[in-house]
Amino acid sequence: MSADHAERLARIAAEAERSCSPDAAAAYLTAPMSESERNDALALIRWFRRRYPSAAERLAYVRRAHRRWRRDR
Amino acid sequence: MKGTEFDELAFFAALGASGARALLIGRRALVVLGLPVLTADYDFWIHIDDIECFNAAAEPFDLMPTRGPAEARRHGRYALENDEHVDVLVARAVPTTEGQRVEFDDVWSRRRAYPLTPAISVVLPAHADLIATKRFASRPKDLEDIRLLQLLEGEGES
Repeated sequence: MSADHAERLARIAAEAERSCSPDAAAAYLTAPMSESERNDALALIRWFRRRYPSAAERLAYVRRAHRRWRRDR
Repeated sequence: MKGTEFDELAFFAALGASGARALLIGRRALVVLGLPVLTADYDFWIHIDDIECFNAAAEPFDLMPTRGPAEARRHGRYALENDEHVDVLVARAVPTTEGQRVEFDDVWSRRRAYPLTPAISVVLPAHADLIATKRFASRPKDLEDIRLLQLLEGEGES
């Protein structure tokens, strides 16, 4: 990994780990969700809950998904 | 036993049998509720007096603590590691970024158990308390998770 690549990854990680201010968090959480965003998210949630109806199946799925992600990245 | 062989059900069974007051928080808790999010780690919030029995339950899985109990109590958190990574919060109370104080004992009193098998359960905070734990850091991904939890609540599923 080049130094430049490592630096970019570190910047992304820092951004992902930063805490949002209370005002920024409130603004984000009270912003209305568009109808299409809401419908897409609900469709995915409904699919996931139907496909994996039990907590054990859901946990097993996320372990498989993470293994796939690590293998393919 | 290494992470690739990690028996998750046996791990939750051992935690349940240990008597440790341990709440699964973080993204794996969202997965239990039925939210399709990706995560690598386990996050627990445990009672500050239960570090030893929590660690003893994890020890057969080769999960080793990064700090001893006394040091973990001072810092308020530690991790258990092998190929798996378990973050453990051990504070009696944690403030949200808005300054609300969230007490472990209150959250524990409202806990909900979700069966994994007829004999094994995983214990989560109640829906509103899980949202409060997401305000401990209020990172961008925590806010995304809160929106998903709110959507789930709107579905009448919490």
